[in-house]
Amino acid sequence: MANYHPNDELLMSFAAGQLADALGLMVACHVESCPKCAEKVRNFESLGGDILNQCSEEVVSDSLLDETWAKIEMFERNKVSQESFEKAANEKRVNIPRPMRRFIKEDFDQLDWSGFSKNIQEVNLNIDDERYTTKLYRIKAGSKLPEHTHKGTEYTLVMQGSFSDKSCKYNQGDFILADENTKHQPQASADADCICLAVMDAPLKMTGFFGRMLNPFLR
Amino acid sequence: MNALLDKKAKVSLVKPRGTSASSSNKGRVLAQKEPNELNQFLIRIGESKDRQAFVDLFKATSSRLKAFAMQCGASSADAEELLQECMIIVWRKAHTFKPESGSAITWLYTIVRNKRIDMARKSRHETVQSDDLWAEEGSEELEAQISGEMEGKTARGMLKHLPEVQKQVVFKVYFEGKSHSEIAADLDLPLGTIKSRLRLAMKKLENVAKEQMSWLIIILMMNF
Ligand SMILES: [Zn+2]
Repeated sequence: MANYHPNDELLMSFAAGQLADALGLMVACHVESCPKCAEKVRNFESLGGDILNQCSEEVVSDSLLDETWAKIEMFERNKVSQESFEKAANEKRVNIPRPMRRFIKEDFDQLDWSGFSKNIQEVNLNIDDERYTTKLYRIKAGSKLPEHTHKGTEYTLVMQGSFSDKSCKYNQGDFILADENTKHQPQASADADCICLAVMDAPLKMTGFFGRMLNPFLR
Repeated sequence: MNALLDKKAKVSLVKPRGTSASSSNKGRVLAQKEPNELNQFLIRIGESKDRQAFVDLFKATSSRLKAFAMQCGASSADAEELLQECMIIVWRKAHTFKPESGSAITWLYTIVRNKRIDMARKSRHETVQSDDLWAEEGSEELEAQISGEMEGKTARGMLKHLPEVQKQVVFKVYFEGKSHSEIAADLDLPLGTIKSRLRLAMKKLENVAKEQMSWLIIILMMNF
């Protein structure tokens, strides 16, 4: 079970339907595997219900109910084709969290990994989102990234394996927030490659000599 | 429809109603006796496609759903389109409503929240859609999720425990999708004030939830 969770601000925005973007997908992945956060989200949804309940009333056009019936009848006629379509879309790939399945179309091994080194590879995910860049990173078992800080904010979700930095170890399902003040040198654990989903609103900024050398090649 | 999602263009025209001290109590009085009734409507639609129950539910909730959409920044016409989409979902999915895991109004809330996202995104495959974010009601994933200790029980009526200034910040999150720093700029208050108001609101909500939960645990234990 995850030890590092999205903060309440994120969980509330998620439950409010205001994170309909790459970051929302990442929160969804965590929430589906974390009963603790799932419960918080349900409480924030319940708060959403309260908010809907206290909304003052807005006059609705008289014809809307009839128009809705007409649409429902149309739907009922097309029902069969609809349902089989929905089923087909719901295929399963166990090691990809459900929220990411439309965006990660193959298993991890078959993705088009690229990178300047065998130790760290990345693949860009094609999510149409004006604010964030979304990538998968794969850090080879046991290897260490150059020390770096972050320009802007970067969210990381461990999808497979685990990694550690100076103070902490992060396992599958953990949700990590890094910003300008985070300076670290993550290392994948020795037993398996570590695959992370990263959502960032600004590029990585390497520190230290090695880091500065690598930086131009990162993107 | 994009106005529904556009964080910048929003709401300056439509003032969130609940945030002013003079907001009417009408809604709250209605709410006292309504929840159970709404549950019944949904159950009847779900079990037997009861058309009268659908009409009753439509009449009881449509004006609030429309108001909710408008507070999210929709025009009156867009809000009615969204309302209609929601009602179609109600007809189709009412059988997935489980009264033991949440109130009818919360269920309706999740539908209007999800439809709002999808209407703005209709035809674009690479954008995030609501069924990426939330598993369909009644699906295996969701079953697993709510099989936790409380079986999906959630706290109810939390909003009334919050003071106005905290409510105001909460409304800005739900209706306008504002971040803490955007809210601070909006209200012309220091970021720290916003953060502490939300933190207090969260604490309060958590306590209310815990209080209700511990009663639940006691009730559950007495049943054994
Ligand atoms: Zn969590």
